Amino acid sequence: MNARGLLRALPTMLRVSFAESVAYRAEMFVWVLSTTMPLVNMVLWMAVAKSAPVGNFGQADFVGYFLATFAVRQLTSAWAAWLINWEVKQGTLAMRLLRPISPLWGYASDNVAGFPMRVVVALPVVLLSIALVGADKAVPQHAWQWGLFLVAVLGGWAITFLANVAIGALSLFLDSSQKMMEVWMVLFFVCSGYMYPVEFLPEGLRTVIDWLPFRYQMGLPVELMTNAHDLPTALGLVARQWAWVLGMGALAVGLWKQGVKRFAAFGG
Amino acid sequence: MISVHGLRKHYKVHKRPPGLKAALRSLFHRTYTSVKAVDGISFDIRPGERVGFLGPNGAGKTTTLKVLSGLLHPSEGEVRVDGHVPRLREEAFLKKIMLVMGQKQQLLWDLPPAETFELNRAIYDVPTLQYKQTLDELVGLLEIGDLIGKPTRQLSLGERMKCELAAALIHRPRVLFLDEPTIGLDVSMQATMRTFIKDYNEKYGATLILTSHYMDDVAALCPRVIVIDKGLLSYDGSLEALVQRVRPEKRVVLRLSEVVDASRLESLGKLVTHEAGTAVLQVKQDAVNATISRALSGLPVTDLTVENAPLEEVMSELFAENKARRLQAAESVPA
Amino acid sequence: MVRRYLRLLTVQLKASGLQALQYRADFFTDGFTSLCWVFTALAPLFVVYSSRPEVEGWSFGEALLVVGWFTLLQGILEGAINPSLTGVVEHIRKGTLDFVLLKPADAQFLVSTQRFLPWRAFNVLTGLGLFIYAFLLLGRGPSPLGLLTSLLLLGTSTVLLYSLWILTVSAAFFVVRVDNLTYLFTSIFDFARWPSSVFKGVAKGALTLVFTYVIPLALMTTFPAEAMLGRLPALSLVGAVVGSAAFAWVARRVWIRSIGHYTSASS
Repeated sequence: MNARGLLRALPTMLRVSFAESVAYRAEMFVWVLSTTMPLVNMVLWMAVAKSAPVGNFGQADFVGYFLATFAVRQLTSAWAAWLINWEVKQGTLAMRLLRPISPLWGYASDNVAGFPMRVVVALPVVLLSIALVGADKAVPQHAWQWGLFLVAVLGGWAITFLANVAIGALSLFLDSSQKMMEVWMVLFFVCSGYMYPVEFLPEGLRTVIDWLPFRYQMGLPVELMTNAHDLPTALGLVARQWAWVLGMGALAVGLWKQGVKRFAAFGG
Repeated sequence: MISVHGLRKHYKVHKRPPGLKAALRSLFHRTYTSVKAVDGISFDIRPGERVGFLGPNGAGKTTTLKVLSGLLHPSEGEVRVDGHVPRLREEAFLKKIMLVMGQKQQLLWDLPPAETFELNRAIYDVPTLQYKQTLDELVGLLEIGDLIGKPTRQLSLGERMKCELAAALIHRPRVLFLDEPTIGLDVSMQATMRTFIKDYNEKYGATLILTSHYMDDVAALCPRVIVIDKGLLSYDGSLEALVQRVRPEKRVVLRLSEVVDASRLESLGKLVTHEAGTAVLQVKQDAVNATISRALSGLPVTDLTVENAPLEEVMSELFAENKARRLQAAESVPA
Repeated sequence: MVRRYLRLLTVQLKASGLQALQYRADFFTDGFTSLCWVFTALAPLFVVYSSRPEVEGWSFGEALLVVGWFTLLQGILEGAINPSLTGVVEHIRKGTLDFVLLKPADAQFLVSTQRFLPWRAFNVLTGLGLFIYAFLLLGRGPSPLGLLTSLLLLGTSTVLLYSLWILTVSAAFFVVRVDNLTYLFTSIFDFARWPSSVFKGVAKGALTLVFTYVIPLALMTTFPAEAMLGRLPALSLVGAVVGSAAFAWVARRVWIRSIGHYTSASS
């Protein structure tokens, strides 16, 4: 579809997707309740930091960090891999392919339209965090920090979404890419700063993680939210993040195109 | 409008043999078997025609529809729909066609159908005025005015199918593929759908290909039928001629005022059924007149009609014939 | 009566077993993902214990025992409990639960034995592996009495897990559209991956109370680990046995009420 047609179609697509996300609010609530991992790890680290701080982190820092993790997780999550897997299995992907617009736009609009509902969930957690540990440990302090934080959240979401598309596209080659998604999730949990701040990892490991996409999905937005970096460092990290957005985008679109070709050859 | 020449679609299907060793081996080295879903068929369809695809399950009907709508790439052969090559999935092509599948839906499950209509308007880039016109017309003809504001999940199957059809026609497709559109619907709903589909075809001159298990759909809608069996085209022509060819016999239905011995009826022709005052006889076409006059003169007949054999019977006979021919062919091949 | 149900169970297990044999390669893929997930449970511990020799009275090896129990129970949860849970939620959504209720056997029994995923038992193996590794680190073995007690606690933990599951399923009768229930259930279970004493410092001990009495996660993983170490107080053992029995009883009552609600409310 040409850019003008797409621009004309997108507002309606987003509006309908938003109506859908409102219809699924009960589901979303359950999903939010099940995001317990940051809290599980928060209590562990609070117990650890009870007697003396760990590195730069005292108990309050951990509370700020993990509540920020919770909020960022809400804002950057994507479930396109799951959806693509399901639609391939059910054969309903065919209905999407009949339309004169790439299904990827449909998946993206579904995810983006969930944003307002997710902000509604994330906001109280952020407010709670401010009440518990003070604004300086919970939210950005300067305009530039806010700006970079928002860019980083967007970038984190983009990497997550595009990785989802890439893995979802694999289900067009394999019987199911669900297991692949699980492996990705494990790497995400371990490498992203979701379970512990990445600065606690030994030096060598951190260098590796700096080159992997996971930290830019979760750790970077959280660090920017809790004011862990000065401007030059933050800019450098955000630049790396967006390099990953581009790389992941190329991979996702490439895999998707190949996958659809194969889908047409083998049938759904 | 549609031309298909030598279309073949072979699938490679991955076989997972039983056994742990084999399962492990299949992780690295997969064995495939080739399935010939469509094995060389050709036909042409003129603009505005209504054509029925007939064939037993697994004959290749749905595969052909999917190839025509660009969802599947043909393995061999040439396919054109209104000048487009479907597998290129050009935007202009996708805007001209629609595939409706009775078993798969495009309506958003938890939102009212009106939202899906709106979404399709945006995606197909339908001008607002035309959209309003089309929608009003669809809502009026299908009588779905009360339904399109309710969440799809609350609609009955028939109501949902009507809305599904409306959603498919928002962009006024010029070629409409219908795959089992009336499956699971009750008789009156089937009739409504048929009338509507026919009206749409006549009003907009849309070309229409239909597959259905309900012969009534085909009989009511399609002057021309294409029979596909085991991936091969086994008949292309009018429905009437097909019936003539497979089952030239007519059925004479007699209503009798008193009980008549079966042997007396059998002397008139082949007795198909005989119960409680009604007898159905099967007779050769040229013998129909003679049979009627003999029946009227010799039996207590109160009413008499002449019919064709039911379509279902005609079709099953045709498929049985094809199967017998295939078996014969297989046997005659020297080992 | 009991024999009939045992026979039913055998039939259901056999069916699941045969199905699993069809997908033998799953043994390896499930095994691989199981090891991966264990790694996510271990990673924070490695990080934590690299800066502290001991957390809330638990050394690394001892905490490893808790993770071992967590993994083992996760195997039971995913292999024997979750598949059926998903099945019931599906039944309720599609309205096919009626078929189950029509059958001349206890509905709770039928729905909770309808599907097993034997390959998920790989988690049980991983859990046992963690026990061995933990005791190697600790430089001693468990006492025979400790082992025996922990086996008993394995029973009570399974009963607890199962009862919590029945309670969750019962919720599915009242709340519509709960496709994510399994996910919620598993993620709450995530709290059981650390020794329960780490919760002491949070919210003035309120969490400890919750995880001991309301959602008895502490009983499931921390108690058996303590029993293996031979430091579980006798009173706690009695508490675990009585508590799990009470939970099972409550779950059964709630289930019966929910079925009543379902049959009277459905159209």
